[in-house]
Amino acid sequence: MMRYIRLHRIFIAQYLKKLMEYKTDFLLGAIGLLLTQILQIAFLGIVFSQIPALIGWSFAEVLFIYGFSLIAKFLDHLFTDNLWMVGYRIIRKGEFDKYLTRPINTLYHVIAENFCVDAFGEALTCILLLLYSIPQLNMPFHWYTIPLLLVVIVFATLIYSSLKIITAAISFWTKASGHITHMLYMTNDFSKYPVSIYNKAVQTVITYVIPFAFTAYYPASYFLTGKDPLFCIGGTVIAGTVLFALALFVWNRGLKAYESAGS
Amino acid sequence: MDNMIYVENLRKEFKKIIKEPGIKGSVKALFKPKKEIVKAVDGISFEVPRGEILGFIGPNGAGKSTVIKMLTGILMPTSGTCLINGKNPQADRKNYVREIGVVFGQRTQLWWDLALRETYAVLKEIYQVPDEQYKKRMDFLNEVLELDSFITSPVRTLSLGQRMRADIAASLLHSPKVLFLDEPTIGLDVVVKENIRNAIKKINEEEGTTVILTTHDLADIELLCERIVMIDKGKKVFDGGLTELKHNFGDIRTLEFELAGAPDFQLLDFDRHFKAAENDIRAELDGNMVRVRFDTAKVSVEEIISYTLQTVHVKDLNIKDVEIEEIIKQLYRREVSL
Repeated sequence: MMRYIRLHRIFIAQYLKKLMEYKTDFLLGAIGLLLTQILQIAFLGIVFSQIPALIGWSFAEVLFIYGFSLIAKFLDHLFTDNLWMVGYRIIRKGEFDKYLTRPINTLYHVIAENFCVDAFGEALTCILLLLYSIPQLNMPFHWYTIPLLLVVIVFATLIYSSLKIITAAISFWTKASGHITHMLYMTNDFSKYPVSIYNKAVQTVITYVIPFAFTAYYPASYFLTGKDPLFCIGGTVIAGTVLFALALFVWNRGLKAYESAGS
Repeated sequence: MDNMIYVENLRKEFKKIIKEPGIKGSVKALFKPKKEIVKAVDGISFEVPRGEILGFIGPNGAGKSTVIKMLTGILMPTSGTCLINGKNPQADRKNYVREIGVVFGQRTQLWWDLALRETYAVLKEIYQVPDEQYKKRMDFLNEVLELDSFITSPVRTLSLGQRMRADIAASLLHSPKVLFLDEPTIGLDVVVKENIRNAIKKINEEEGTTVILTTHDLADIELLCERIVMIDKGKKVFDGGLTELKHNFGDIRTLEFELAGAPDFQLLDFDRHFKAAENDIRAELDGNMVRVRFDTAKVSVEEIISYTLQTVHVKDLNIKDVEIEEIIKQLYRREVSL
């Protein structure tokens, strides 16, 4: 474990060196990212200024849920972005060979190789939304609130990453699965808003099938109201654990089905 | 048993979807796929003793890379056994790959955007090479592969020859017991090829590394390999020494002479001069060019050249490389005929 953490630091350092290698690209990228985020925050401001309340949730509460949803999304984006490339390119081109000839876990190796600094855009929006909304809210606070929050963040991130691992691993059989990942990933937009605004079908899907609701709405609503901890927090832990176990299973089965590419 | 590599009845099958040409065919295949099983590797067995350099040859698409990929743990065999140093590559991949080095000539494992030495620094951590050993190892690899002049350059700026040397060094950093080289000389010029052959030889001699090498260049085989395994269409067709291969299948060489005047060709009569059987020498005229194909077991290169130079006026002379494809062709005819 310590070895993997040490390796991860080295991989991240390498990635940052790579960024610095292409200075213009890095600079333009950073400016672009900043502009996107400013526009997004402005857009949110405009939309929410028209909605004083949403089915029982106040404006500040909606902003909190939205901001909360970005925590796991940010962490997943920051650390596991290379999984996109697995589905789009790495397997189809046979580049996966390289990972299989190295004495470290393949899934870890693929993930560690990239470090997506773009994600800091989400972090910025997230922090601004939380800093703006929390002082206006009267949330219950206990000694266990912070530890619980950390647990939720870990398992919510696992939900995101596991879904990405599963859809990326499909390409071991189909050679390319980037679009499947994309399709699934888009449904996470539903989780930014209170689930109660959707109809029954959508609610069921994002709770039990693709449980993105457990990355944001359910745990956030617990932190807001202190109600239903078993379902809201327990659900996140269970969904994260089950999906991660499934992801490891699918990935390992995929390794056996990997066919490489001609050379 | 002192075999480093033991392969028995190894098979790999791929499912392939057959498509008719054009977009219509692709759409049809999407809804009603016709599947076919392709036997890429069809029951291959061989052994490699510790410290040997084995030439693993065959035409394109013969299944060489597929075998290498099974031996290196990348592909799962459909059936059969392979054991390297007593280990099954698929059973405990992470421990197994510490003992092997792999180079795919067509692909690089270097970090493309960073200075070359950064790659080695990361590999050092991945393979957990201790600091002191790493220093010694880099000194040795520097000496053998002459990396010094480009070790600080970003990998994307390296020439193909430099990149190949860098890739070979990367595969050797953790002192593997077995080295798999899949076409390490592909696309390189003569000088770099020579350089790489010497390096492979040196590593084999100094460290006793067992090497499996695939190549299309017979010179690689002649200079490096004690033994050859030849495969075609997924099956083993030959296993033995190079002299034996040539003895069995003939060592056909081609010489090209550019003549001062085409009519001179009439003066040449190889058959009568060498009293050779019809299949041993064949000469043909193409413009001003005379192409002579002959079996070196019957007539030497020297004899052909001296006879030709004495008989006609020659402007230019070209000795063509022997290609493995040529030997394979012979193999199919099962006899030496020109």
